[in-house]
Amino acid sequence: MAIRILSVDDSRTIRLIVTRSLKPFDCQVIEASNGEEGLAAAASEKPDLILLDISMPVMDGVTMLTRLKEDAVLKAIPVIMLTAEAGRDNVLQIAKLGVRDYLVKPFKDQQLIEKVGRVVTLVKKPGP
Amino acid sequence: MTHTASLAEIREFMIGHLTEVFSTMLSMTPETSEHTEPLQSASRVTGVVGMAGEEIDGVLYLHLTDEFANKATVAMLGMGPEDPVGEAEVNDVVGEIANMVAGGLKSHLNDLGAGCAMSTPGIIRGSNFVVETLPDVVRELLGFVCEGSRLVVELHIHSKGKMACYGNKDT
Repeated sequence: MAIRILSVDDSRTIRLIVTRSLKPFDCQVIEASNGEEGLAAAASEKPDLILLDISMPVMDGVTMLTRLKEDAVLKAIPVIMLTAEAGRDNVLQIAKLGVRDYLVKPFKDQQLIEKVGRVVTLVKKPGP
Repeated sequence: MTHTASLAEIREFMIGHLTEVFSTMLSMTPETSEHTEPLQSASRVTGVVGMAGEEIDGVLYLHLTDEFANKATVAMLGMGPEDPVGEAEVNDVVGEIANMVAGGLKSHLNDLGAGCAMSTPGIIRGSNFVVETLPDVVRELLGFVCEGSRLVVELHIHSKGKMACYGNKDT
């Protein structure tokens, strides 16, 4: 059964890069463009992993993560934060929120695959 | 205690960080250029990100020519040469690149003791426009050449509180 990954980012570019990076693997990428949509998608789709941007309109990633952790059902879903801000304080703040890992933008596809692969088991799709 | 940041130091950081963003996301290597004047005549796409904090406010503009913005979009999204490049895709890619460049600057300023929040990116499209500064705002222009196209990073920094931002390339 395919791994289900929820990509929450206001940038369509980043969501496309996530989908492209994970294309060789047996996984389904679900997309949301802000925290509000992300929470709704997490509740309805029950993904195996959430890739979550921090800075987004409507609802940012920190607020979404806080709400996620308050939900008895959704709090167990592992989260990897994607952030353009690598500062020490920012990283400490992220760590306190209980995320599994974080990835600083800019990143290469392979770095994303490695981070994701540490949290869920990525299985390559069979060749053509 | 007053924190200080020299423009020379910020400039050096920005050159290294922009190079990293471009090489990682676009597989392109920009080189610094002495031409720092705005891209006045070329039709351009400008990514804009604002920063605001107790010690410092600022705006980062990433000015790209229309042609280079299209090229960057093709590279970042892994599109083929025949794939149509839409304005929405270009805007999103330029905004995301500006966001990554500004994110690095924000982290750098944070480590210097000037924590600030960052806006989501915006886009300006047009030609022959100049962004003017308000009083007490330091303006810094960084010129680059990448794949034969000029690009300019324009920084407007307003330091306040216990953060002092000093110096320019002529001093």
